[in-house]
Amino acid sequence: MKRIVLVVMVVLAATLAISCGASNGKVQLTFLEVLTSPERTAMINGIIADYEKLHPNVTINLISPPYESADNKLTMMLNNDEKLDIIEVRDYTLRQFVNNKKLENLEKRLAAWSEGKDLLPIALASARTADNIAYIIPQFFYIKALFVRTDILAAKGITVMPKTFDELIADCKKVTNKKKGQFGFDWRGKSSEFKFSDLIQLSDVPNIDPNNIYKTADGAFSLATPEAQAALVKYVNLFKDSVPSDGINWGFNEQVNAFISGVTPFLIQDPDTVSLVDKQLGRDKYTVIPLPVGKSGKAVVDYGFASLGIPSYSKHKDAAWDFIKFFSSAKENAAFCKQYGPLPVHASTYADDPFFSTGVYQAWRTEMSDQDHYLFVKYPLGSEKWPAWPQTHEQTMQSLLLGKISPTEATAKFADYWK
Amino acid sequence: MVRHDRLLLKYILPVLALLVALVYFPLVKGLITAFRHYNLFDLRDTSFIGFDNFKAAIGDKTFSFAQIFLNTMIWIFASLLFQFVLGFALALLLRKPFKGRGLYSGLVFYTWALSGFAIGLLWSWIFNGQFGLANDILMRLGIIDSPIGFLSDPRYAMVSVVVVNVWYGIPFFGIMLLAALQSVPNELYEAATIDGAGRVTRFFKVTVPFVAPVIVSTTLLRMMWIMNFPEIIFGMTNGGPANATNILATQMLYKIYKEYDYGQASAISFMIMAILFAYSLLYLSATSRKERDF
Amino acid sequence: MSPKGRFLRSAGKFLALAAFLIFAIGPLLWIILTSLKDLKEVYTFPIQYFPKKPSFASYTKLFSFARFGVYFRNSLILTLTASFGALVFAVLSGFGLSRIGKRSLKQRLLLLLYFTQMVPPFIIMTPLYTTFSSMGASDSMIIVAIIYVSIVLAFSVIMAKSFFDRIPIEIDEAARVDGCSVFQSLVWVIIPVMRSGLAAIFCFAFVNIWNELFVAVLFLNSPNHLTIPVALNSFISKAGISWDILSAGIVVALLPTMLVFAFGQRYIVAGLTEGSVKG
Repeated sequence: MKRIVLVVMVVLAATLAISCGASNGKVQLTFLEVLTSPERTAMINGIIADYEKLHPNVTINLISPPYESADNKLTMMLNNDEKLDIIEVRDYTLRQFVNNKKLENLEKRLAAWSEGKDLLPIALASARTADNIAYIIPQFFYIKALFVRTDILAAKGITVMPKTFDELIADCKKVTNKKKGQFGFDWRGKSSEFKFSDLIQLSDVPNIDPNNIYKTADGAFSLATPEAQAALVKYVNLFKDSVPSDGINWGFNEQVNAFISGVTPFLIQDPDTVSLVDKQLGRDKYTVIPLPVGKSGKAVVDYGFASLGIPSYSKHKDAAWDFIKFFSSAKENAAFCKQYGPLPVHASTYADDPFFSTGVYQAWRTEMSDQDHYLFVKYPLGSEKWPAWPQTHEQTMQSLLLGKISPTEATAKFADYWK
Repeated sequence: MVRHDRLLLKYILPVLALLVALVYFPLVKGLITAFRHYNLFDLRDTSFIGFDNFKAAIGDKTFSFAQIFLNTMIWIFASLLFQFVLGFALALLLRKPFKGRGLYSGLVFYTWALSGFAIGLLWSWIFNGQFGLANDILMRLGIIDSPIGFLSDPRYAMVSVVVVNVWYGIPFFGIMLLAALQSVPNELYEAATIDGAGRVTRFFKVTVPFVAPVIVSTTLLRMMWIMNFPEIIFGMTNGGPANATNILATQMLYKIYKEYDYGQASAISFMIMAILFAYSLLYLSATSRKERDF
Repeated sequence: MSPKGRFLRSAGKFLALAAFLIFAIGPLLWIILTSLKDLKEVYTFPIQYFPKKPSFASYTKLFSFARFGVYFRNSLILTLTASFGALVFAVLSGFGLSRIGKRSLKQRLLLLLYFTQMVPPFIIMTPLYTTFSSMGASDSMIIVAIIYVSIVLAFSVIMAKSFFDRIPIEIDEAARVDGCSVFQSLVWVIIPVMRSGLAAIFCFAFVNIWNELFVAVLFLNSPNHLTIPVALNSFISKAGISWDILSAGIVVALLPTMLVFAFGQRYIVAGLTEGSVKG
């Protein structure tokens, strides 16, 4: 037995020796990204290389776990105080990291940062999502807009683009020819499907609380308002009339597949979908328009974001902040967003660079500047009920679409969950 | 013989040490969280809460535990049955050498060499109810008129994921039983033939009893692996539609990956192990004959 | 049997073999076709089965842009190390378990092995990660190799034991009469008899480890340490699946396991046979 213990010790000692490595006076920063894709990783490596050229005494090691398990891995590393200096934090994970005291308060650094004043109001608000303290610096916004297959609509004689959800629903019905495999609306049935139903349902409700989409201004549960309940029926009918019944099991990939293969000409998606659709379809066959509005005269638009933060236990906070400043500068941020797709965070970018206000990006520009028609809203990401909500909503909505429960029962279940 | 036991035990000790260090020790640590409020969403409170996690998992309002349990049983036994029967059939077909047997087995056995997530991804594309390959082929052959919602219709969803699991699992039984079949002595068949036994009788009276030990141990292990194999379902239906394919393992994975609720996830794994343990004992006592190690 | 009956039988057998082949290989053909397509041809409706101009561009991208070569090497090193490690342990323990005289002890040890197979892997990952992290041993391929050994160990030992069971104990006793120690009899007399059994265990370990994703994602950080399953999984991003590179990657990742099967399968069959003829 002794010998076994000895062998194990030797192996572990060897491992430690290999994994530690020498530091030779250089600052080594570790940067973990979570919204990984091979192309995006290559872009980040490009920025890192530029930075290292300017700062020869700094090396930055990038960790790029696969997207599907990245948040989990980051959580695990943070909870074990693994070496990390710069981390990508999503709107979904922010609260958790703040709860567990894993993020550094960046208020002072933000105040001293010259380019910090250039951040969009929505970016500053996002930075202070948790406890009204800036724990993060937002980098990218993901806002939904309507992707439209112009070629298919033109063939069906539709040239005027829908301005309201009711017009969209009517157009979808017009396009649909089930026998020929032609449908209207690109359904989302699983994985965060609530974002799609909420958009259509709650845009009909006049007084949504921008700080919590599930509340009205007078504190009622928004999904249970008469307007939302009526819109739910409308949403179910949209599914019955203009969506392949298989849509109930569609996630992002099926949505993209349906849009690109032309099965459904209307898709609601984020700006980072643009490059994928460009590659697989081509700009000549589609365009992006602002989201239609609901009966309230507005569309309630949720904004997702990704940001950078510094772990509270990092030993190189100043060096990490210096890199974050570089990465978040208007110049780098704009260049990165151009390649990768999402919306940049600096006001000057929109003013200086026509890229983000022309072409397909016009749609997002309109949504972000037209406050009369677009109300930006937040999800209650800080609630402890939040993590289990997406799956609860998904399974309840699927039961509703399958006709196992009625719209009233579904609403009752939602209300019961948030009680 | 017994005099060597102490020496032989030393040969076994390294394995035991590894398993204790890398399986049993973390297992105990993991199971303790089943009795704590342990959600990574907020680790400021991780107090012991008795059986609350078990109660929460069983009493979930959205996810009927009875249905999850039933789904789990269907998933395990349907997968196991068809993997075994088809694997056995394949082994019987491959038993006698024929030209190109090596190449043939390489081509039918490769499915085992795919990652779970890749299988889920690939098959959810094939089984898409609108533009999937399976529908396209069935329609071209004139077998169906309109596409089937393999993964979106609760009537077919469980069948579809089981089909994929069978597709993936046939090679294991194929290879193991093929090997076992090679060892059935020919004399036994000859003797049976002289006694006037037909093909069917020979199969059940000679072949099956001879390979029975392999059958018992492989089906038992396979059952445990299927129980703990959520990747296919997770990738194809996410447990839907409307809970129709949700099994204990996917529910556990969901608790870990999406809800960060390690307490409830541990409670569910507790149940998984309890079910497997009880079942193994039953299975072994039902199949064991007097003098055999399982 | 009449000639007609024989013909019907072989025709039936042929049809059954063909059915198995189509069922198994259909999805692989689809993947291969996809890997040869241009991105614009991947999603089509009605389905367009064949690429207009087959191209190997995805394979080129796989090895240049996606650094598949590095991951391939890592996977190979990890898988070979862990499979050999498991093999060594399996031989020693399998022999011990097979030859131990005390029945109750043997049963208890076997139960310990079987029980590890009931454990949901996800439940031990977190504590395991915490333990290794507190030892400062993160991002280590050696640690991952050790975990991989532990994953395939129980099954390997159970298999090895069944191989040894088929080798008559008289063989080792005869060796010891000739003056060999227990260990010497194992190494010089018994192992040579069950060479092919060892090949079988190795194949099983290889296939299982080659595809392992979760441990690799969690325990390895540096891009120079990533393995093939992790690389393949990275082609799924928030903004979609890169089916071109992914399908090429799946095809390439299959090659080593198919090779191992093609060679190993012969031994697996032979290995089990060998023992039984004597036993």
